[in-house]
Amino acid sequence: MAFKPRPAQQEVLNYESGKMGVAAVPGSGKTQTLSYLAAEIIASGRLKSDQEVLVVTLVNSAVNNFSSRVRQLVADKGLLPNVGYQVRTLHSLAHDIVRERPGLVGLSDGFQIIDERAADLMLEDVAQAWAKAHSYMADNFLSNTLDGNTKDWVYRDKWPDQVKILARNFIKRAKDFELTPNDVASHIGAIPETLPLADMCYAIYEDYQRALAYRGSVDFDDLIRLAKQALAYDPEYLMRLNHRWPFILEDEAQDSSQLQEQILKMLAGPNENWVRVGDPNQAIYETFTTADPEFLRDFLKKPDVKDVELPNSGRSTLSIIKLANQLIDWTQHDHPNENLRKSLSLPHIEPTPPGDPQPNPDDDPAQIHMIEKGYSPDAEIKAVVDSLERWLPKHPQDTVAVLVPRNDRGTKLAEELRRRRMDYIEILKSTASTRHTAGALSNILNYLGDPKSAKLLATVFRVWRREDRNDEQANTQMLNIAKQIRGCVRLESYLWPQLNQDWLASLDFEGEGGEEAKQRLEEFRLIVRRWQAATLLPIDQLILTLAQDLFKEPAELALSHKLALLLKRASAMNPTWRLPELSEELKVIATNERRFLGLSDDDMGFDPEKYKGTVVITTMHRAKGLEWDRTYLLSVNNYDFPSAMEYDQFISESWFIRDQLNLDAETQSQLEHIYNLNHPTAETDDTKWQEGIATQQARIDYASERLRLLYVGITRAKKELVITWNTGRRDSDKKTPALPMVALRNFWENQK
Amino acid sequence: MDFELAPEQIEFIQQPVDQHIWLEGPAGSGKTTVGVNRLLHLLSKDIAADSILTLVPQPTLGVVYHQAIRNPQHNINGVVDVTTVSGLAKRMVDLFWPLVVEEAGFGKPDQPPIFLNLETAQYYMARIVRPLLEQDRYFESVTLDRNRIYSQILDNLNKAVVVGFPHTEVAERLKAAWIGDDGQANVYDDVQDCANRFREYCLENNLLDFSLQLDVFINHLWSNEQCRSYLQNRYKHLIVDNVEELTPLGHDFIKEWLPDFESSFIIYDQDAGYRLFLGADPFTGERLKESFEVQETLTESFVTSPDVQTLEKRLSDVMERPSHASAYGDAREVIQFEYKQYHPEMINWVADSIAQLVHEEQVPPNEIVILAPFLSDALRFALQNRLEASDVPVQSHRPSRSMMEEPATRCLLTWASLAHPDWGFPPTSIDVASALQQSIGEMDLVRAQLLAETLYWVDDDGPHLASFDQLKHNMQERVTYLMGGRYEGLRIWLNDYKSRKPEPLDHCISRLFGEVLSQVGYGFHQNFDAAKVASNLIDSIQSFRRVAGARPLSKDTPLGKEYFELIRDGVIAAQYVKNWTLQNESAVLMAPAYTFLLNNRPVNYQFWLNVSSPGWWERIFQPLTHPHVLSRQWKVDAQWTDTDEVETNQDTLHRLMVGLIRRCRERVFLGLSELDEQGMDQRGPLLNAIQQMLRNLAVEEDDDGL
Repeated sequence: MAFKPRPAQQEVLNYESGKMGVAAVPGSGKTQTLSYLAAEIIASGRLKSDQEVLVVTLVNSAVNNFSSRVRQLVADKGLLPNVGYQVRTLHSLAHDIVRERPGLVGLSDGFQIIDERAADLMLEDVAQAWAKAHSYMADNFLSNTLDGNTKDWVYRDKWPDQVKILARNFIKRAKDFELTPNDVASHIGAIPETLPLADMCYAIYEDYQRALAYRGSVDFDDLIRLAKQALAYDPEYLMRLNHRWPFILEDEAQDSSQLQEQILKMLAGPNENWVRVGDPNQAIYETFTTADPEFLRDFLKKPDVKDVELPNSGRSTLSIIKLANQLIDWTQHDHPNENLRKSLSLPHIEPTPPGDPQPNPDDDPAQIHMIEKGYSPDAEIKAVVDSLERWLPKHPQDTVAVLVPRNDRGTKLAEELRRRRMDYIEILKSTASTRHTAGALSNILNYLGDPKSAKLLATVFRVWRREDRNDEQANTQMLNIAKQIRGCVRLESYLWPQLNQDWLASLDFEGEGGEEAKQRLEEFRLIVRRWQAATLLPIDQLILTLAQDLFKEPAELALSHKLALLLKRASAMNPTWRLPELSEELKVIATNERRFLGLSDDDMGFDPEKYKGTVVITTMHRAKGLEWDRTYLLSVNNYDFPSAMEYDQFISESWFIRDQLNLDAETQSQLEHIYNLNHPTAETDDTKWQEGIATQQARIDYASERLRLLYVGITRAKKELVITWNTGRRDSDKKTPALPMVALRNFWENQK
Repeated sequence: MDFELAPEQIEFIQQPVDQHIWLEGPAGSGKTTVGVNRLLHLLSKDIAADSILTLVPQPTLGVVYHQAIRNPQHNINGVVDVTTVSGLAKRMVDLFWPLVVEEAGFGKPDQPPIFLNLETAQYYMARIVRPLLEQDRYFESVTLDRNRIYSQILDNLNKAVVVGFPHTEVAERLKAAWIGDDGQANVYDDVQDCANRFREYCLENNLLDFSLQLDVFINHLWSNEQCRSYLQNRYKHLIVDNVEELTPLGHDFIKEWLPDFESSFIIYDQDAGYRLFLGADPFTGERLKESFEVQETLTESFVTSPDVQTLEKRLSDVMERPSHASAYGDAREVIQFEYKQYHPEMINWVADSIAQLVHEEQVPPNEIVILAPFLSDALRFALQNRLEASDVPVQSHRPSRSMMEEPATRCLLTWASLAHPDWGFPPTSIDVASALQQSIGEMDLVRAQLLAETLYWVDDDGPHLASFDQLKHNMQERVTYLMGGRYEGLRIWLNDYKSRKPEPLDHCISRLFGEVLSQVGYGFHQNFDAAKVASNLIDSIQSFRRVAGARPLSKDTPLGKEYFELIRDGVIAAQYVKNWTLQNESAVLMAPAYTFLLNNRPVNYQFWLNVSSPGWWERIFQPLTHPHVLSRQWKVDAQWTDTDEVETNQDTLHRLMVGLIRRCRERVFLGLSELDEQGMDQRGPLLNAIQQMLRNLAVEEDDDGL
């Protein structure tokens, strides 16, 4: 379908040069507009043959989305596709910059980027060692209401974890500030105060960096810091990149961190051809990063920035738009905590003008349900599943999603749907595609680590024939054969039989489908023999061999390639690991969120339209950028969506820490304090650091982000919206509905 | 050979035997053919074989000369020396050792020299640097694995000697060119300190790494009357091939020696210089030309067609680099490509295209090469799998292949660690199963695991392998008595070995191989690949034993154990350079692009993989050294900036591209995928150059239409 820009979008497309900021509402087609702008610039002849438009966006799935759109648009204009633009996430951009001149920042060309899990394991070792050697540290912070046994348990199990978390976020932040362990040490040395949390985290940071260097690796956060350094060290290099990328288009700019802003500013160079598009109301990645929607808001206000609004959205019905706009208004004017009133900002969402190719769905105010009743957590799930059970048969052609604030609620919901045999797909910690690919490979590795196990081989058979699941008859046969394999006591007599001792020959294949079953088993035997022989290969080559036999889809093959490299690295770092450990590692990849560089777990993208009539379960964070006809928002209570009121509780305030301190926030603020004193500006407050202030500020920041998360949740719905809440697990401490939900419900009642 | 020669070639070959000749030309113009025939011509004129010295930059480039000499048709008496400058240096040091041992400052004048190869030099470097890394926090701000720290320090010592500056000036030079983080400058001090300590240690212990061999030869022996007159009396005729790939030291040395020869024949490739990162210097090479009165040039390519030459010219134009090639043909006729989204699809396309060439167009497999900037294991394996599935023989050559990645090496070391329980490295049961699977003929993984799980265990006394008789009857049946018997043979050998006085590890492995594993019924029987791996391993242990055994770390640690640990940790034996000549003559070759170039052999079809990778353009970054800053072309005190980086990278890419194209007779296939092996989309300068060329051609075609 040809893209017909609306007047507001046309204003963006009229861009010629200089700085422009675009505030876009949900569903306003900002990505499409930005892709079109990229194609226009390429087609306009403004680029030399060695120049490109640089598009920077937030996540990998968006990169693919962008690339394919721009490629299509460029081809539509009769030009060579794949020329004239580069789409990158900040991490991959940083990787490119460092990779081209690694020597500038002390890296060799073979430097490795360690993935998050491996980094986390390393940090765990370092942090635990520190916690053990400095056990007195815990006494300064544990709550004195803990009894002896609990205290012992906290010492043993909880405190080391806490130390790791503090160190992890401290290190992240230190890297955002571009501070090496040495810098932190000299910063600490330069101030008169003693700040024990910062001292502790510095020590762990130093050990962690040494462990990284020992492995020839850097982590994701180093990458960004080093990219900026490389640009700063060699002005000629920067000039070359300025020339290469004369236009920078930045999507999702609301989640830009300070460092990202600085790097892009450098890359934009003296021409300053920089277009930033974002929606400050959808900034939901701020906790423990230096990202802040204020950066984009400030940018929009600058006198030399042309600011444009994209207020029209054809996504939702008027009722849903009204509700989302009301959330902005209530927050700005009536939020009982005045500190939160800036959490959401204008513009309001406006429906598309008449004649627009994307008209809003017909309005039906009756399809807004904000359930007043406070359920128990289980009852909430039951109520939602009941509702889905009624709704689905009547809407087989519609899309529906249940959005949860946290993964564990999603898992519970999935359990209930499974129990009732309802179709669903969950994208919680990792996407289905990663799990299927990694899961399949992990099952086979698991078997190869114990090749005499009939039980594991039966599982492998099911993995191999997994497509049979889609056909009832084939599925029955597959399960029957698997059962037969499971019953094979001496597996060698099936796989490698001696003369006259073939297990297969002893089986009865009489009757319908018998011959086919026999063939299957023979075929399977040959494949397993090949796989067993392949166990002699290094792990990456083994994985590739398996993948060739298992997968046909290019995306699956590419992902296998990625997993092969990942396991190779894991195996190099852990020379004693054999198949069982490597299989375990794959399982972790399959079930946990793991950030890859380049091809990522959400790389295949997710298209809700492919899942009509199926329940999609995901988190509100992951739902960003997606839309469904009907959307459920769960757990909208004052625990998951607090408003920084006196009675609210906060996830980051651990029960075993004294004075309800948010130790994480306290640690970060010590680092900030040290940093500010060492880099004084006119606004630097040189009073002493005080305990507790950061905990209070963290409450406000968190509540503010949660308000925006609610806004994101609401604006996922096209036609129908259901919001529920629960009273929490403990009867002694019942949760209340989230304040914004109460306000919206009152507003809605009055509308009627 | 004569019938293949062009008249001008014959003319050069048959120049008088007292002539000094400089011959230059591009790759593919038949220079080496002239060189080989000049050698034969000298011999045919009754010049004594042992008075001819043939120098090449690396041994593989001498292979054609060796082949010609050994060819029975030529009926040659005596030995012609075909060697490298460092080969000559080593021989002279060995021969005249007593003359220089004191003068050169060695600590043990009464003892012979110990020559180090790359592995053993790394080993001694590791001895010196490891404590500094661990206790004194050397190299803290560098992210680099340890092996590369060791090898780059060695590299600096080599650069100093081949470029001709004192090794104590390495840090100073590197620092002067550095513009990045100040902390990095400290790293260069660490490098300097380690280099100095290593050199002192070598002198103290009569150890000679590559740099010290050259240093002693050039600075002490070459100026020594006895040695010099030996060389002058021995050699009367000089042939040097690929002189551009020699180091400045080599060039100086040749220049000084040249007047003493009765004749000389020096061959220079105009656009080469691929060994730049090893210290080669085509510029000092070219300056040698001034010393020659007779200067000849070959221009016509015997390899490339007009279309291929046009491709060279077109790409050179896009890159704004000069080219001698003509542009009468159509570059598009000789390139073929398909744009794929995913990397495996690109690999499939390459494999399918090759299968088609071989099976349908009857192209001999050895006329096809697959080239990539780097050849990763995964890439190599994926291609190998697919090609073998389509019945295309394939071989790969990578200069660095980790021995630990060979299953046969792991198998042998598993048995070695069982035979030496005192090492304290008992293998896991999975390792034992895998070793059984490989060692015993027809052993499958299921039975191997049954054996390993029931008969192998580790306790406080170390690892144990129990006898097959101890298995219950039904388990014996499952494993089969045949396999059981073979298992017993292996077990008894190991037990027997343990009960005797320990032998050196290479003897142990060699005997295990000869007495058990290569016998009928065992896995290495008639398995030539595994035998080759075993022999490489034995060689490596042997050279380690000879060198490290002379200066043991401690009397308590058995050398075998030390070797085992080092190979496990990848400190040594990580790069075992296999002999190029062992290669299968009739297979498709997979190799890194530079390896192919250095092998100097034209083919009909080239497949360039990962064309979009920036790896075609970027140099190998070595944070502890710098091939350009530590070269004679670099102005000391100048800063190395991005402009230098880009210029040298463009030069390098151009040089590489031209080198490849000139070694291609028919067609270049371009492997293009939007996402690379790691799922990243890359658009490196080679891709951009090709795209720009295609765009230009399209525009010209449009213009022609008007």
